[in-house]
Amino acid sequence: MGVVAALRWVLLAAFVVCVKFPAFADPLARGRELYVLCSSCHGEHGQGDRQRFAPAIGGLPQWYVETQLRKFLAGERGYHPDDTTGLQMRPMAQAVYRDGDLQAVATYVASLRPLPAQRSQNTGNASRGQTLYATCAACHGADGKGNEALKAPKLVGQADWYLIDQLKKFRSGQRGAGPGDATGAQMRAMVNVLPDDNAIADVVAYITTLQP
Amino acid sequence: MLSWLVPQASTSARDIDWLFALILVTVGFWFVVAQAALFTFIFRFRRRPGVAASYISGERKEEKRWISRPHALVIVCDVVLIVGALLTWKAVKQDLPPADERIRIVAQQWAWVFVHPGPDGKLDTEDDVRTVNDLRLKIDTTYHFELTSRDVVHSFSVPAFRLKQDAVPGRIVTGWFRPTRLGTYDIQCAEICGIGHALMPARLTIETPAEHAAWYASRSAQGG
Ligand SMILES: [Cu+2]
Repeated sequence: MGVVAALRWVLLAAFVVCVKFPAFADPLARGRELYVLCSSCHGEHGQGDRQRFAPAIGGLPQWYVETQLRKFLAGERGYHPDDTTGLQMRPMAQAVYRDGDLQAVATYVASLRPLPAQRSQNTGNASRGQTLYATCAACHGADGKGNEALKAPKLVGQADWYLIDQLKKFRSGQRGAGPGDATGAQMRAMVNVLPDDNAIADVVAYITTLQP
Repeated sequence: MLSWLVPQASTSARDIDWLFALILVTVGFWFVVAQAALFTFIFRFRRRPGVAASYISGERKEEKRWISRPHALVIVCDVVLIVGALLTWKAVKQDLPPADERIRIVAQQWAWVFVHPGPDGKLDTEDDVRTVNDLRLKIDTTYHFELTSRDVVHSFSVPAFRLKQDAVPGRIVTGWFRPTRLGTYDIQCAEICGIGHALMPARLTIETPAEHAAWYASRSAQGG
């Protein structure tokens, strides 16, 4: 067998191993490959797309993306019959069920550089929101940059329409009320400090004033 | 016959399999006869030394019979199959037997929401039970379903029921089924509906009335 033929077999074997066990491949490269599916809604740079109800995910911490994907897989998120957009995301998480894939795609998302968030016409009052934000700051930080130890994601840089939607979902039980979702339950309890839609608009108006 | 491959779990599945069997037997029988005749002739009139081939124009009466008789037979068989198909269509799609219960099926990208009537057997009451991708039916109960979509066209396909019905946004499509066999079966969206189409399966569980009541009870214990 010539050198070229031998090389051909080695390459083929390597290819088969990488396809069968994607964890052997470079996680970032594998993540980029998988991200093609995500990009159809979240955009090529993870910038999000309001028309598709897709939040900005580029540059979110790896641990947060991974946790949320696991929640979608486990039925702890996107479980509620009225959570139309969560139900859209749930089957997408099922596309990364293989060992290593979920971490790989989370690694890739975390490696993306965050782009400026898209703004909606949120008319909330930021100074009223600042008072309400005191509760949020305990976990998400005064600067809104999140805290991994407390499992609190960063909020700065996120589109305001998405934050408003999610707060409403926490309040109605469309998010955070799934069986086994401990951090979601925590957030549900916290959301009680926001008595109505105005309070939600105010606190989100304040969050969007924070500098990324 | 088809039930060897896919379980037959509703009355309509039986009717449709009957039609399949009718088509298979009618077409299959004549297929075998025609092939047998063809191969017999190929063998009987094979090349022999000293016998020259001759051209048959097919204009003599006894030659034309080989065309006209099978032709008539095909028409008779066609009529039999069309009558069978119309009878099945009527039984499955035109007739709407009185409902014992109603359920609502809501398709969306990319999930199924099922609204069960709850212990009182009536939709749009307090005790309705809504599930995602989990349909529970009582055996030997006639259900009317209201099928609709929240976004694009989907298709509610239950192979064990031999049922495939499009869900069209803005329309409520009414149909019926009567489960006849216990067990769990597949539901799959059968109309390309976006990037998550392939990830839009659901599960159908057919239960005894006691199991069904116990399931309702466990749901209300969890708080819906
Ligand atoms: Cu579909």
